[in-house]
Amino acid sequence: MLQIKSLRKSFDGFQAVKDANLSVNQGEVVAVIGPNGAGKTTLFNLVSGQLRPDAGSVLFKGEDIRGLSPYQLCRKGMSRSFQIVKIFSRMSVFENVQTAVISRMGKTSNFFTPAGGIAVKETERILEAMGLSGKRDRICGLLSHGDQKVLEMAISLGSDPQLLILDEPTAGMSSEETATTIDLMKRLSGEMGLTILFCEHDVELVFSFSDRIMVMQQGSTIIQGTPDQVRNDPQVKKAYLGGHD
Amino acid sequence: MIFGIFGKKSLPLVVLFLVGLIFMPYVAPRFYIYLVSAMLVTGLLATSLNLVLGYGGMYQFHHAVFYGVGAYTTALMLTKTSLPTWVAFVSAPLVAAFFGLVIGLICARLSSLHFGMLQISLGSLLWVIVYRWYDFTGGDDGIHGISMPAVISGTTPAYYFILAITALCLLLMFIVIKSPFGRILQALRDNPERCAAIGVNVIRHRILALVVAALFAGVAGSLFVTLEGSVFPDLLFWTLSLEILIMCLLGGWFTFFGPMLGACLIISLRTFAGNYTEYLTLILGLMMMLTIFFLPKGVLGFVNDLFRTRFPGQSLEESSHAPDKISTKII
Amino acid sequence: MELFPSLSFSVLCIQILVGLSKATILFIVASGLTLILGVLRIPNLAHGSLYMIGAFTTYSIATAFSQSNLGFWVALLLAPLVVALIGLIMEQGLFRFLYKRDHLMMLLFTFSFTLVFADLVKLVWGSDYRSLAVPKIFQGSYLLLGMPFPRYNLFLLLLGPLFAAGLWYLTNRTLLGKISRAAAVDREMVGAVGVNVNLVYAAVFVLGCYLAGIGGALVAPTQNISQGMDHSIIIEIFLIVIIGGLGNVWGALLGAVIFGLTDAIGILVAPQFGIVFPYLAVITVLTFRPKGLLKSIW
Repeated sequence: MLQIKSLRKSFDGFQAVKDANLSVNQGEVVAVIGPNGAGKTTLFNLVSGQLRPDAGSVLFKGEDIRGLSPYQLCRKGMSRSFQIVKIFSRMSVFENVQTAVISRMGKTSNFFTPAGGIAVKETERILEAMGLSGKRDRICGLLSHGDQKVLEMAISLGSDPQLLILDEPTAGMSSEETATTIDLMKRLSGEMGLTILFCEHDVELVFSFSDRIMVMQQGSTIIQGTPDQVRNDPQVKKAYLGGHD
Repeated sequence: MIFGIFGKKSLPLVVLFLVGLIFMPYVAPRFYIYLVSAMLVTGLLATSLNLVLGYGGMYQFHHAVFYGVGAYTTALMLTKTSLPTWVAFVSAPLVAAFFGLVIGLICARLSSLHFGMLQISLGSLLWVIVYRWYDFTGGDDGIHGISMPAVISGTTPAYYFILAITALCLLLMFIVIKSPFGRILQALRDNPERCAAIGVNVIRHRILALVVAALFAGVAGSLFVTLEGSVFPDLLFWTLSLEILIMCLLGGWFTFFGPMLGACLIISLRTFAGNYTEYLTLILGLMMMLTIFFLPKGVLGFVNDLFRTRFPGQSLEESSHAPDKISTKII
Repeated sequence: MELFPSLSFSVLCIQILVGLSKATILFIVASGLTLILGVLRIPNLAHGSLYMIGAFTTYSIATAFSQSNLGFWVALLLAPLVVALIGLIMEQGLFRFLYKRDHLMMLLFTFSFTLVFADLVKLVWGSDYRSLAVPKIFQGSYLLLGMPFPRYNLFLLLLGPLFAAGLWYLTNRTLLGKISRAAAVDREMVGAVGVNVNLVYAAVFVLGCYLAGIGGALVAPTQNISQGMDHSIIIEIFLIVIIGGLGNVWGALLGAVIFGLTDAIGILVAPQFGIVFPYLAVITVLTFRPKGLLKSIW
């Protein structure tokens, strides 16, 4: 579904991503791990169109997507959440998700029908699935950080994506919230058959449920493989896991 | 959020107000009829600005341009051509919207302050042209003594015309804000990056919003001609734009009727304080400073907060997302 | 052949020099604005008012000392200090409480200052315009290419590079300059390493206002000092700052030169619409380089 080959990006001479390689197949859950500053977020921004790569190729469903803007990529079936929460903070939880659904339905230039009644059922279904039904009418700028992160995912789901990209979905969450979120992600991939690409700090967590893992260090891919392959790779042990133990 | 104080229950209040305005000319002296007309016209202008400012989060620094374009279109049509009057009134918003489109196409890819400043430079260019082109626009003298058809000339008929059109425009704007487009507009204000990530073409929607706002500003411009019978280059000068920005702020730019209220307050201040002192702008300036310090959400926003029962004890600013700030994110 | 009969070579040259001397004043005022924009992030509309106050103060001081030949020079020294003092009061009294607000609030706040200052100027100096004679040693003109060129403009022309060099030294070679450039990029970081950021902000704001005052003082002998001169200059210098790149002092210089030249030459080409040309230049620049010609620190 997604193929990245020798992707490169630098800012003012600083090479944030040097040589990133990654492939994600239909239905897989793929994790990207690496220490802080390894270029994970930059990589995601390159994939989802926030940034434009300097060199290398990004294929999404076989199509070169370099240079497409985020909104075009979203319409092609790629949806993402952000590490730093980006939500519509003055709107209610319901409206947040509904806005994404409205956008997906292509009704954004409709001037005259009231927006309140559009796609209510679908929005509520997503809220239900994400466990946000109880907070339906809360102004989301006032939610707890954990709830806002979950809402991020819910908004991304509103776009009905084929590929869901999650940038540190559990960052800043309590261990309890983390467990619920991981559970949610498992269900998204298991029940809804979503392809998920995510990056994460908590290594144990990543090994517990991803199909494949890509390890990044200083902007370059060290290895991509199954959790076992990665765990036993000497280079990874030395460069990354070793440092944690 | 839109009706403010009492939620949807404020509809009767709005109707009551409208009925009061309809019967006002029977009891009020002529001067007050004129004054209320002026408030309505300026209020309509401020509300149209708020469409992109408060709801869209765009730095619309030079909204008066579209007001001026609307006014000049009507004035020039009425004085230089022999087309029927209604053409002059219909073409004003269309021409203003066209200018909105052009300015939008040039500015919309920029963000926050750059957007606003480029708009000021384009607007100033237009102002200079109007100011200097004596043969066509009358230069700095403007055009005076524009005669209106009998139906809408004279204080009271003009008042009813202005009231009807303003009410209609406010209703339309209200519908637009409640529509999916309005929803996306508010989403753009809150977080343009997230908006792009859910598949919204940010630039296209900003341009659209600008065109819609310019359209209504154009209507306000032609209503100004109805009221005053004259046009002058000050209608396009940037200080007027700042004044209507102040009206939005004073009334409360996250509320629908805030800008209208702000316009009423400032025009009343101008009219009544003007009788006692010649240092009016000094008072206005000081008042603005106090508002910014103590009522950053404006009068209606403040009243709203007083009546807000949904989340007693916690205001939005204290949360992590300070939604009071209009987003300045680059997209 | 004679498409523009007035456009002979020597007229063009003189006009370019006049444009450049006008650009000097624009640059001095705009550099103050761009410093404040770059470091404090305040789009200070009151900058034009401070410039106006500078001009009026210069008039008053120069007239008070009119017996001696040094009236203007004393004013040139004192008036900017008066303006800087006003700036200090503004910053310490009000602005520093508002740094967390967004730009739009700041813009409106500074706009309310322009309203207040406009009336204060009216209160102090009345509504009549004033005019100040050019100081004695710069009265009269030199003959350049057979055309008269005012001596005072030559003085301005020489002053421009001097100020540019001074500002370069200040921003690149002094501690204040280095800290303020760092503070512009990351305020918290600079605060964390133990620098008193508030002090830096105050210093930069006062310096910016001082430059506005100097601009006002320098412009005083060249035109009528009147109400409304704040409105005309503020848009010009804002455009200069924008096309140069927000917060970039060299950008302000470049912008001022573009503005001054297009203005001066525009008047030759089309007298009635001469004033249109600088705006056209700005729009052209921004269409191709929306963030300005030089690197914007925003």
